[in-house]
Amino acid sequence: MAEDRREGGDVVGAVMVVGGGIAGIQASLDLAEAGYRVYLVETKSAIGGHMAQLDKTFPTNDCAMCIVSPKLVDTGRHRNIDLLVDSEVVAVRGQAGNFTVRVRTRPRYIDTAKCTGCGDCANVCPVIIPSHFNEGLMMQRAAHKLYPQAVPNAYAIEKRGISPCRNACPAGQRAQGYIALIREGRYEDALRVIKEDNPFPGICGRICNHRCEDACNRGKLDDPINIHALKRFVTDKVYSQERVPPQPAERKYSQRVAVIGSGPCGLTAAQDLCKLGYAVTVFEALPVAGGMLRVGVPEYRLPSWIVDREVQDIVDLGVDLRLNTRIDNLDEVFEQGFDAVLIAVGAHEGRVLPIEGVDLLGVMVNTRFLRDVRLGNPPDIEGRRVLVLGGGNVAVDVARTAVRLGAAEVHMACLESREKMPAHEWEVRACEEEGIQLHPSRSFVRIVDNGEGRVGGVECVKVTFMEFSPDGRLTLETAPGSEHIIPCDVVIFSIGQRAGLGFIPESAGVGITRQQTIAVNPNTFAASRPGVFAAGDATTGTAFVIEAVASGHAAAQSIHRYLRGEELEPKLKPELPVVELTRAEIQERIDRGEVHVKPRVPMPALPVEERVSSFAEVETGYTDELAQEEAARCLACGVCSECLSCWYTCQADAIDHDMVERVQDIQVGAIILAPGYEAFHAEQAAEYGWGRFPNVVTALQFERLLSASGPTLGHVERLSDHQRPKKIAFLQCVGSRDQTHDYCSAVCCMFATKEAIMAIEHERDTQVTIFMMDMRASSKGYEEYYRRAREKYGIRYVRSRISAVLEDPQTHNLVLRYVGDGRGIVEEEFDLVVLSVGMEMSGGVRELGRRLGIELDQHGFCRTLPFQPLQSSRPGIFAVGPFREPKDIPESVVEGSGAAAAAGELLAAARHTMTRSLEYPPERDVSGEEPRTAVFICHCGSNIAGYLDVADVTEYARTLPCVVHAERNLYTCSQDTITHIAEVLKETGANRLVVASCTPLTHEPLFRSCLQAAGLNPNLFEMANIRNQCSWVHSHDWEGATRKARELVRMAVARANRLEPLYSGEVPVEKAALVIGGGVAGMNAALSLARQGFPVHLVEREGELGGNLRHLRYLAHGVTAGGVQFSDPQAYLRELIAQVEAEPLITVHLNTEVIGKAGFVGNFSTTLKNSAGTFEVRHGATILAVGGTEYKGSEYGYGRDPRILTQLEFENLLGICETSLSQPAVLPSTVVMILCAGTPAERFCSRICCTTALKNILKLKELNPQAQVTVLYRDVRAFGFRERLYQEARRQGVLFVRYDFERKPQVEVGGEGLRVAVWEESLGQELTLNPDLVVLSMPMVPARGTEGLATLLKVGVDLDGWLMEAHVKLRPVDLASEGMFVAGAAHYPKFLDESIIQAQAAAGRAALILSQDSMITSTQVAVVNQEQCVGCLTCVRACPYDVPRIREELTGVGGIVGAAYIEPLLCHGCGTCVAECPAKAITLMHYTDAQIVAKVDALFRPEEVCGV
Amino acid sequence: MSDDDNGRGEFVPEITAFTCIYCGYMAADTAGALRLKYPPNVKLIRLPCTGKVDVRYILEAFEQGADAVYVVACPLGNCHHVYGNERATARVEYAKQLLDEIGLGRERLEIVYTSGGMGATFAEINRRMTDRVRELGPSPLKGACKT
Repeated sequence: MAEDRREGGDVVGAVMVVGGGIAGIQASLDLAEAGYRVYLVETKSAIGGHMAQLDKTFPTNDCAMCIVSPKLVDTGRHRNIDLLVDSEVVAVRGQAGNFTVRVRTRPRYIDTAKCTGCGDCANVCPVIIPSHFNEGLMMQRAAHKLYPQAVPNAYAIEKRGISPCRNACPAGQRAQGYIALIREGRYEDALRVIKEDNPFPGICGRICNHRCEDACNRGKLDDPINIHALKRFVTDKVYSQERVPPQPAERKYSQRVAVIGSGPCGLTAAQDLCKLGYAVTVFEALPVAGGMLRVGVPEYRLPSWIVDREVQDIVDLGVDLRLNTRIDNLDEVFEQGFDAVLIAVGAHEGRVLPIEGVDLLGVMVNTRFLRDVRLGNPPDIEGRRVLVLGGGNVAVDVARTAVRLGAAEVHMACLESREKMPAHEWEVRACEEEGIQLHPSRSFVRIVDNGEGRVGGVECVKVTFMEFSPDGRLTLETAPGSEHIIPCDVVIFSIGQRAGLGFIPESAGVGITRQQTIAVNPNTFAASRPGVFAAGDATTGTAFVIEAVASGHAAAQSIHRYLRGEELEPKLKPELPVVELTRAEIQERIDRGEVHVKPRVPMPALPVEERVSSFAEVETGYTDELAQEEAARCLACGVCSECLSCWYTCQADAIDHDMVERVQDIQVGAIILAPGYEAFHAEQAAEYGWGRFPNVVTALQFERLLSASGPTLGHVERLSDHQRPKKIAFLQCVGSRDQTHDYCSAVCCMFATKEAIMAIEHERDTQVTIFMMDMRASSKGYEEYYRRAREKYGIRYVRSRISAVLEDPQTHNLVLRYVGDGRGIVEEEFDLVVLSVGMEMSGGVRELGRRLGIELDQHGFCRTLPFQPLQSSRPGIFAVGPFREPKDIPESVVEGSGAAAAAGELLAAARHTMTRSLEYPPERDVSGEEPRTAVFICHCGSNIAGYLDVADVTEYARTLPCVVHAERNLYTCSQDTITHIAEVLKETGANRLVVASCTPLTHEPLFRSCLQAAGLNPNLFEMANIRNQCSWVHSHDWEGATRKARELVRMAVARANRLEPLYSGEVPVEKAALVIGGGVAGMNAALSLARQGFPVHLVEREGELGGNLRHLRYLAHGVTAGGVQFSDPQAYLRELIAQVEAEPLITVHLNTEVIGKAGFVGNFSTTLKNSAGTFEVRHGATILAVGGTEYKGSEYGYGRDPRILTQLEFENLLGICETSLSQPAVLPSTVVMILCAGTPAERFCSRICCTTALKNILKLKELNPQAQVTVLYRDVRAFGFRERLYQEARRQGVLFVRYDFERKPQVEVGGEGLRVAVWEESLGQELTLNPDLVVLSMPMVPARGTEGLATLLKVGVDLDGWLMEAHVKLRPVDLASEGMFVAGAAHYPKFLDESIIQAQAAAGRAALILSQDSMITSTQVAVVNQEQCVGCLTCVRACPYDVPRIREELTGVGGIVGAAYIEPLLCHGCGTCVAECPAKAITLMHYTDAQIVAKVDALFRPEEVCGV
Repeated sequence: MSDDDNGRGEFVPEITAFTCIYCGYMAADTAGALRLKYPPNVKLIRLPCTGKVDVRYILEAFEQGADAVYVVACPLGNCHHVYGNERATARVEYAKQLLDEIGLGRERLEIVYTSGGMGATFAEINRRMTDRVRELGPSPLKGACKT
């Protein structure tokens, strides 16, 4: 890819779009196409936003994913869009045109550049978490893809931090990881995880002091997880199988390391160094390896075979273990040529007290005693009385061993009190259980001779106080006169151990401390002599095994650095936070049903009587079931546990658990904020029971239940019993229009209606009731949709706000109480309740606003300028989508395009300065060549290769005709394979490419680029989808899947062999625009285009610019404490007209009409007519902004009495009154307003009238506070922030009375005055009013002549006469005719801000055409063979786009005059005309009949594969 | 060439399906993404739009030995090319008449409508069609037309 760098002046030709929902995507695509570089920043791991979660979209019931997915793919692959997922904006410096944005990217632990999306990591990930995408209704793995179609097509790992168990472990054991794997029954993997950090799992599972359990978050709830028992379980489990020796480690370095001592520290270091690639020799003085583990810990706690096995695993790596080899002098080691030495001799010398009698027979020392027992020479103490001096864990071991050797009595005496004994409480308890007598708080005076030179007892004195100072000095107070003798035959000292360091002479240059330990730097373990390191008990005094292991690891790393000549001090690693769950957080998980209170599963143990008689292990261990049950209690605090299952599985080398947060500064000229909304947290509305009652769901959850790819595959079911709900209730306005939300969320009415319809579509007999205040169906097609919902689907709408939901605890059905149709309180039961949760701004969005220094309102919505509705308070930063105000998809898309245009206006000088273009070698002409096809078959990790025989399919492909090359790849889409394919194509001279892998919907463009890189036409490509259509769906049938894969490849080759190179045409673009209509929309569109550098013809049929806005007197901007904020639109209009007139690129044609049109996108020629005559303008794009007009019918007596006015007339009256306040008498004091007046209003909602009425009412109340106003309405459709006007009107005492079209109000004009009668439903009687004025909210209808113009320009209108967009949701300003766009009320009634935005959007879309030098035709177009054409018009009628024309100048079959012509620039390539053409005169390029039939034939007849 | 039985001597119908590149193809993709199982006896042929489904393609498939053919289109009203699926519906109806006339029977041909998310429906369609054709037995044209 090449950077197109041109001079951009002072502005930067790049834009940052924040938020990857549909609005952000639209803005990004528009900008990227228009010649700007785009950085799309998204906090989640993929773009798509809320729209990707939707099942269907209203009002067309399009599948949301079907329509959004192509946009996602386009965005992900666009060369001018840089996707920054997992990212957020931290700070912005600079000003409009040149910002520096600091972006922070969280680690996702998977490299998106390498990840192929195969999903192998998720398959092995043991951590289960709720899926946010599925609104918690489904579980997913910590390694996950947000959703199947996610872009980027890459997995991410959710990692919250370090679990406290791991943090508490000196060796950093990933306990959470192996616990999760135990839960899944994956014991080998679990052991692998343990061994990552600890080569002695069997040992630590038994004798570790398991600090992990003290730290366990579960302890805050019930009991900590029984981690040590699980660890022991899994080692026992694996060790009961035959041992598979590990592969010897590869030797990478010539250097040799000596390790002195084969204890846990020495062996851990030896293992690590061996794995790193060094030759390691371990010297051990004893005949056995394992150090204290082997000779210090009694058999009943740690069987020898476990130690031996774990030692053997290390030896098998290639470690040279030399037993019975005592090192007498350190220098010997260096003389033997070792480059580094690790001293890990442990602390094997037991200490005795310097008291009288220590030389007597029967006095022993702990280490010697235990060692002798373990090495098979136990001292004979049977029948004797044994006294152990000491109260630590070793003393306990000694005492319990003595019990097992048959001592008559065993006593323990120690300095400390019973409570303060250093041994673990459970160890002391075990002593007591085994009958060992404790004598705490004793100081030992002397050992008493029994008169025969043997021990007879120990004289003790009672201790009253004792304390060790931090440096180890003892302060002791004893009770005078408390001397007494504990009689015994054997005394065993167990008061501590130290290292035997006799082999280190002073001359060795290795410092020794006063405590007889080796002096080392605690960070590097380096002793004072270079090359000498020491670790473990020899440096610290006695500690636990796990500490020895930890220091062994660290020392090995240090030695590695030393031998590599690196800085010895370890580099500081960025540390993840330790996840401390709060009690509240755990409670939340309990409330959501994710966690249940459940104490620890007890570990089975031997009964005491069996214990004391043998050295058998006391704890017998968990069974599989018990272990899995216990493991399932784990809260998975860190989420990802770094168990590395993914790392071992991923064959693309994409996993990187050491990823860290990245911060970068990016220069852009403008910023578009599209952060989207957050659904109201339903648990905050506790009265509705969400979270407590399983059958209360949110609308988004219901959407996922409806979705065919959701948690229930589209079968709507209750969460309590998985039964189908037959009666469903929707509660509207949850988190909207309430005490804390003074706004309406605008979409929920339609959202609920859509979901209700879909539920009924799924199961016809479903009964749905929607409880609402008003139905706000105020956009195009919505009223019709609402009508269909009631009439066709029988959905019941009840006007009632439900105050609480009750649950029947037996059935989990839900009970609602409401006021029925005037019949008092009704109680009704439902199977399922859906809460229509409103839109809110998240904390993150508020924070974003703060960081960017833009103004937000009290709810976190962005404040924008009144007449630049996308412009935030900081110039150059634009806001779109619900961030401005709650809104639906089409409006968000319009705003995305509008903001792209606004940014384009700002940055026009830098267009194309930062874009990238692709450069390929010139194309080789392959015409005349025989087909030579190269086939690449993908394993997709295990996704394909795991379920069918890829090797066989590859061999088979080689045998197919014309195939010159076939190979299989681990991942055909990986970057290196992509490069490799192009090379193979060049080397083999292949001229066709077939890839058998996944889906062309995502991967076709990528593989086509291989052809281009090899100098071949990209159309010479065919794909076989052997993943989605084969391995994934036939995973149960290896043979069948393999056979089908062969067939799919054969079919693909057959078509490929018949493919032809295709070339697109280029047509120069006429770089000017025509804007029809000189109202606000037209003028804004013209100005936007001009500011983006394009000449504009602005055509207005009237004599002045301004359109409808000329008649407006007031705009209401909002409600503050000071009242309603009004402004005068005329000032804005004057300014706007002045700008248009001053703009040199705009040519205004007043009193001008359009009378003719020719040409097509990029090259239109339009004929205009004015008083001077007719003339032609040439332009590349057309914008229709012909507006609408207020309907003026005769309904309700309009036109018969001057006191009956339309809303516009009333506004004018108010204006006159305000400007001439000397005549206040003109102001009416009683007014009745009738909304939805006029027949068109019965067909569609014209969107603006309710708000206009409210505005005028509030103006009247401002001018005449005494005025009494009664509004007769059907629904008050004050959506979004307009709700505030409604609330203000109610607050000011305006009376609202509902009516139905079936029972319309009556207006009578009498001599006395006006009389209005209306039926009041809740009172059940007719009201009569006698107002001064009746004001009718007449609907807006299309402007006069719209339909004729549409016919002339060949664009469609809907049943009500509004111009019809190309796609309701995703192409809301494009007309179906390419190159033509719509803005303003010509599309549908619009508010002023909406018209301005849509004008900008239309200008932006038009600019996409005008910014190109030429239009490129598609290659996949229908081509007419005129010699076969009979001019029958079938194609003309069949084409959905009205493209084919019969041209007189063409000659058809048999020389007849006129044949069909299909303009390639306009053809959509659907092929409908081809299939319909009776003469078979049309061919669809790339899908010729021969190419398609070849596939059918090849399927059944393998010999048909060749294309020649 | 596909085997005629599944190893148990049971007749496994060979089915050819024509899909558009939009909803139909995406439904097949989704079935895969959701790992929904269906028998491997259906092969898809991708067309730009079901509006491109030519009666000739359908007949060609039967002639070559398909036991059944179906077309997977976007839901009615949601065609990405406005009404290509309606055109396809009409042509499938016409082809069904032809199948009746030549004695093959209309039951061997179907058009179904799925949205892209309806992976489960896609898998179900194939199972249903397989069951249906299993009852009908192998196509009598099978092997008869090989030239």
